[in-house]
This record gives sequence, structure tokens and C-alpha cells, in this order.
Amino acid sequence: MKKRRFKLWATAGILLTLALAGCGNKEVKETNEASAKTQEEKVLTVYSAGPDGLAANIQQAFEEKTGIKVEMFQGTTGKILSRLEAEKNNPVADLVVLASVASMDGLKATDQLQSYEAAKNKDKINSDWSDQDGYFYGYSASALGIAYNTKNTTQAPRDWSDLAKAEWQNKINIPDPSLSGSAVDFLFGYTAAEKTAWSTINTWKKNGLQVNGANKEALDAVITGEKNATIAGVDYMAYKAKADGEPVEIIYPTSGTVVSPRAVGILKDAKHVEAAQAYVDFLLSDEGQKLVADAYLLPGNKDIAVKNRAALDEIPQLSVDWMGAEAKQLEVLTKFTDLFR
Amino acid sequence: MIMEGRRAFGFLLTIVVIFAIAPLMAILFYTFTNEGQFDGSQFSRIFAHERIWRTLGNSVVLGIFVIIGTTIIALPMAFIRTKTSLYQYEWLDIVLTIPFMTPPYIGSMGWILFMQHNGFLQQLIPSATWMTDSFFSLFGMVLIMSLHLFPFLYLMLKNTLLRINGSFLDAALIFGRSSWQNGLKIVLPLVLSSYVLGSLLIFIKTLAEFGTPATFGSRIGFPVFTTEIHSYLSRWPVDIRMATSLSLFLLSVCLVIWYFQNLIGRKYTYGVLSGKTPARREIKDKWYIKTASWTFVGLVLLLSIGIPYFSIIVTSLQKVRGDGLQAGNFSFASYQEVFTSGSAGLTAFLNSIVFSIMTAIITAMIGLFIALYIKKGETRKQQVLDFFSLMPNIIPGIVFVVGLIMFWNAPWLPATIYNTKAMVVVTYCVLFLPYSVQYIKSSFSQLDASIFQSAAIFGRSNWAVYRRIILPLLMQGILTGMMMTFIISMRELVAGLLILPPSVETGATFIYSQFEQGNVGVGMAVAVITVLMTVVFMFLLDWLQRRGGQTNA
Repeated sequence: MKKRRFKLWATAGILLTLALAGCGNKEVKETNEASAKTQEEKVLTVYSAGPDGLAANIQQAFEEKTGIKVEMFQGTTGKILSRLEAEKNNPVADLVVLASVASMDGLKATDQLQSYEAAKNKDKINSDWSDQDGYFYGYSASALGIAYNTKNTTQAPRDWSDLAKAEWQNKINIPDPSLSGSAVDFLFGYTAAEKTAWSTINTWKKNGLQVNGANKEALDAVITGEKNATIAGVDYMAYKAKADGEPVEIIYPTSGTVVSPRAVGILKDAKHVEAAQAYVDFLLSDEGQKLVADAYLLPGNKDIAVKNRAALDEIPQLSVDWMGAEAKQLEVLTKFTDLFR
Repeated sequence: MIMEGRRAFGFLLTIVVIFAIAPLMAILFYTFTNEGQFDGSQFSRIFAHERIWRTLGNSVVLGIFVIIGTTIIALPMAFIRTKTSLYQYEWLDIVLTIPFMTPPYIGSMGWILFMQHNGFLQQLIPSATWMTDSFFSLFGMVLIMSLHLFPFLYLMLKNTLLRINGSFLDAALIFGRSSWQNGLKIVLPLVLSSYVLGSLLIFIKTLAEFGTPATFGSRIGFPVFTTEIHSYLSRWPVDIRMATSLSLFLLSVCLVIWYFQNLIGRKYTYGVLSGKTPARREIKDKWYIKTASWTFVGLVLLLSIGIPYFSIIVTSLQKVRGDGLQAGNFSFASYQEVFTSGSAGLTAFLNSIVFSIMTAIITAMIGLFIALYIKKGETRKQQVLDFFSLMPNIIPGIVFVVGLIMFWNAPWLPATIYNTKAMVVVTYCVLFLPYSVQYIKSSFSQLDASIFQSAAIFGRSNWAVYRRIILPLLMQGILTGMMMTFIISMRELVAGLLILPPSVETGATFIYSQFEQGNVGVGMAVAVITVLMTVVFMFLLDWLQRRGGQTNA
């Protein structure tokens, strides 16, 4: 009797363990590896803020070239920052790629990054987008413009103030800056460089500006014709949609716009530092930079040619100082959300 | 017998405590302590925000309107399916549960694509432009959520009406006066109590819902509790304490409602099951009743299934989205992309399947043990276990997810499953354990005492009795619970958004992220595949239940 009961318990226990082991299998293997410290450098965990396709291409090319396996978490800049915060007690990520240099600088300021001054090719990379002490490198950038629907628009907008006109009423949107790193960059850069910026934003609001989710959501509204124009639309998404045949065009306002760098940095708690450094080297290499250009982004290395898009020196730019900007960005973000909620 | 005594109780309680109670404790702990000291200011901080009151107001208003909305759909539907000639169309019940089985975020995305400016409605009927503005408001949100939740209330009401049809009405006919008075004195009170129970559950479900508020609500600027909690955890700047405080608040609200629901349930529930099975009478309707019934059913099906599925399927087939509904603008390219081996969409979809199967197996095992222990819930211990194992049903999923994140990230834990796939399965198990417990419990309650008695007389041992008699008889309940768990796990969104480890996506998060950063067409293709599979499973489920019903009879 007792024996039989034991048998049932034992079977149940084994089944449960098997079931849990089935899904935990890989993790068990990983911890074994870590404790053995033999293949320590062969896995790299990257938290990357889009664009989807580019991140996947870089991952593939990097894995092929170095044999290091990359575990990738993709999300918006906001999601990645919050994940880092939630995981403070047991950090997992080795490397972050963010769509906002100011946030990167914020990570540096709170002592969450480590310096990699010996990065190869670092001299070729735009120094305005990178940290002087090598804590992060702006390996690419996107310019923020006005993306508009070519079917529904008779006269293309030329400057920011055009969107306050009656013809654009209830037809404009902007990506949600609390989700999109580039949208915060835009608000910060625009309001810092233009004295009239907040009043222009107010005229947009009066004209029915809608805050519309992450970058692609905002652009999709324009693609399907729900809205006619996206303010601070990331250009590479618009170029890609255009290449796919969607009725979309992007312009850079004549009074100047914000170029938002995307930066890569190694986390202080990184467990696979060498692999992370190899990843940075790869992003800054000519091969990595070409992949960047293929995804319609602006390469950090000016010598790499872009295709089917405006090059950096063809874009009218507002001058923005990104270093130490995070606190001010938070202010701008709060002001903006208060305005729209 | 097996599953009795102190040891079994201890074992089961340990499982439940680790999986379900610990996360809630973690929330409490995180909210009320700061660097090891008690600190109530975190919690009181939420009341200082004017935004929180708005969120609370929004949630409550939404809950009330959704109760009204579901009532408008479910009540007539229940009458039509029991009192008119439409009672004979059993397939209607399966079709009517499809909206409930559709992942809510997919349903609302379908509605958004259909109703937006230049959306499918305006492309089909250009003069319908005026509808767009009135739709993107609280009204639209209530409509979408009511269409999603009504099957739940409908099934409850229908079952009550079916039961009353039997001897109660016969008795009333013999002893009562007019049929009106019978209706007022007998049917109404009986229906009313199950209606109140049902609508309180709808209220809790509305408060717990994340998918629709996240997609449609964010569009119209209508934050509710779940979306607020999610945004404090996933948006910049992050405020984890705020998220736990809000979770705690939401948890308390749900427990209070649940308490009232229990109170009403105990006070006003009557035993309506009697020996007599309701005789099936041939119902002949007047032509206008028939027309009205079919019109109503057709309208509900059009709104709850037709429109969202039209949008989803069309979007998944479109070549150039900006070209709208045009001949030549359709292709299977998105599906091809999904079915290319190693594609992100397919990988995500397969992940979902693996997670869901594991969840179904584990919850079925734990659920079986718990159900065997609880039996009819007569002792205190049995009731305690019953309460704890069904708790995830009344507590919004996001609260558990937040708790699990806090618990598995606690610095004192020697090892953690956070950031592994096991974490996903554990989370799903916590969220969906009630389903298997409920199904197994209910099929256990159908076993008559005589089975155990004769087994005791003729059986060899308890073990043999369990293996040969009880398990086979419970099998149908176990399988039904597993299928249900599988279906629900396949669509889980908010857990995935918050706890998936790097390089892992589920079907739900994949679809969601395609709207944020990627290719909507591919996302919708994955949605169509998911939903197709769900519907196939539902028919299987129905077949299984029917088969079980026959063997029981």
C-alpha cells in the first residue's frame, strides 16, 4: 500500500521534472557552460532597438564571421531601458544598441557602461555621435523628417510650420516619444535649437496632431491613408516602405531637422566582454557599415555610400549637443505628455 | 486513498504557494519596503497622481458599459437559443464562442483597420466616413470588448434558462396563475441571480483585459489599469514601484468585487438541477419572430466575426497596403514569408505551440492532483486549496506577471529561471491553472459515490482503482482542460511582452511587434494561422465533449 503510493508520487515527480527539464534544457546547458568557463565567449546577449531587418542581418553576418552566437532581444529604446532596469539584480545583457544617444549617455552617467577605447575603425566614425572616452559609438543614424502619403497629398509640405495649415487638419501624427527613442530625440533637438518650437508644437496640437504609438505604427497610419503626414518620422522606414511600393515620400524641412544617432555600448556587467568588443568592431567595420547603409540608415562612417536616400550632407540639420541631454530630455518628454494627455 | 492526508496537502500547498502566492507577496513586499525598511509612501504616492484617479474612473466606466454592452447582445441571444426554433442549431454555440476565442488584440486590430480613415469600410462604402469619428471613442472600445466578452455571459444565461425549462415551469403551470406571473415570480429571480454573477465576472474580466486597451485604447487616449501598469514597466522613464503599487490596487479592487460576487452567489443561488430532464418540445415560431431572431444572430455574427476577420485576412493578403482594396493587389507573399523555414514569424508561432503544450501538460497534472484532493471541498483545507488554485482566475494576469518578475528577480534567490524559457512556462502555468482545476473538478463531481463503493468492494487496491476507473472517467475533463489551456496560452500577450528571454518571441508578441516596428501583413498572416488552429481545436473540443456526454449517459 505504502509502496504503491510511493510509486505514484515517484511517477508524478519524474513526469514533472521531465516536463520542466524539457523547457529548461537549454538553460541548464548554458549554466553548465558558464561554470565550466570553457566556451564563455561564445554567446553574446544583445538588446537592440530596431530596425528589425538590419539587426537580423548584422546578427547573421557577425555569427558567420566570428562563430559567436548572438542572443537578441529586440524592442523599442524605452522597452530596452526598462528591461535593463528590471533586471538590475541579475543582469543578462552584454551589449545594448539604442536608437538614442542621449539615453546611452544616461547609461554612462549612471555607471552602467564600460569603456572600449581600443575599438577598431573608431576614427572613421562620426565623432559627434560618439562618446569621447569610448563608452559608446554612434554607428548609424536616422534623420527625422515629414513622411507623407503621396496619393492624398496634392502639395508636399516643405517646413514644420506647414503642418499647422488647415489642409493638414486632423491628418497629422507623431510617434509616441515615450515609446520611440528617435521621437524624444526630435522633440529635444527641435526645442533646444528652435526658439519657436513649443509654439509650433502647440499649433500642431490645435490642428489635431495625434500621438500614434511606435514609429512603424505612426508611419502605417500614413501608408494606409488614415493620416496624411507623420512628423518626426524616421526616414529609413519611409525609404523602405517606398521601396516596397507604398505611396510614401519623406522630406527634410528646409529650416532644418534632427539627425538622431543610434549608438552601441558595452554594459558594465557584461559577462562576455571580448565577444561584445568583437560586436562593436564589427558594427564599425566597413562590412557592418555597408549593412547599415543597405537598411537605408545613415552610416556612422561618412565614406560609405548610401543608396536611394539623401546623404548626411544633403540634409538641413539643426545643431544638437547630445552629451548630458538625458535629464533635459526627460523634461521635454514630461512637458510633451502633459500637453497631449 | 491517494491525495489525502497532511502530506498531500503540504505538497500541493507548496506548489500553489511557490507558483501563485509568492509573486503576490513579492508585489506587497516591493510596494511597502524601501531598502529593508517599511515604507508606505510608495503606495500612497499613487493616490497623489491625478492620472490614477482618471485611470480608475476609466476602468470602472469601461467595466459598467461593457456589462451593458454584453447584456444587450447576450440576453436576447440566450432567449433566442432557448425559446425560439433556433434552439435546434447546436453549431451556433460553437460559432458564437469564436469571438471569445479570438485573441482580443487581434480582434481590435481588425476593427481599427476596418474603421479608420481610408480603412476598409470607407473603401467599400465611401459615404460611411462619418462613422469613423464616432467609432474612435469610448463607444467603439465598449463595442469591441462587448463583442469579445458576450459569449461568456450568453453561455451562463442560456444554461440557466435551459435548466428552468424543466420541472420548474411545469410546477408553475400546475400551481401558478398566468404565464406572466409565472415568468415574474420564477424565471426572473432565477435568471437574475445568474445574470448578476455573470456580469460581475464580465466586470472583472474587463478590468483584467490588456489587448484591447493596448491597441484601441491607446489610439483614443483611454488609459486603464492594465495599460498603465504595463507602461510603467516598459516605457521610458521606468517606475517599477509605481507598477507594483498599481498592481496591488488593481488586485484589491478585483478581490472586493469577487467577494461581493461570492456573497450574491451564496445567497441567491437555488438548486435548479432536478431529476427531470427538460423535455424537448417542438417550437413553432411565427414568421416575424423567426425573421427577427435570424436577423439578430446574423448581425451579431457579422459584427463579432465578420468584420474583424475580414480585415485580418485582407491585410494578410495585401501586396501594397497603400493601394487598398483593388484587384491585383493581393498575393500570398506574407504567407510565403511566414512559411519560409527559419522565418521569425514561424519560429515565434512554433515557440507558442511548445509553450502552450508544456503548459497544458503541467497544469493538467497539477490540476488533477488538486482536484483529487479538493473533491467536493468539504473540509477547511480543501476549501483553502480550492480558493488558492482558482485565484488566478479573479486576479488580472498582468498583476501575476508583475509579481513573477519581482519574485524571480529577488536578489536573495540562489538561482532564478528569469530570462529563460522555463519562466514563460511557469508564468503560463500560474495564469491558466484554474482552467484545468475547474474542468477536472467538474468531471470529478459527476462521478457518483456508487462508483467508489463498488470499486472498494471489487477493486484490488487504491492504485488500481485510480488507474482503471477514476483516471479513465476523468480523462475527458482532463483533455478538455488541456485543450482549453492550450488555446488560451496560444494567445497570451502581456506575459510574453514582459518576460520573454532574448531571442525568443511568441506568436502573440510577434504579431504585436509587427505593428510597432515591422511588417503588418506578415503579422496578420501569423494571426490568421493562429486563429485557424484555434477554431480547429474548438471543434475538436466540442467533439470531445459530445463523445464524453454519450459515454456518460
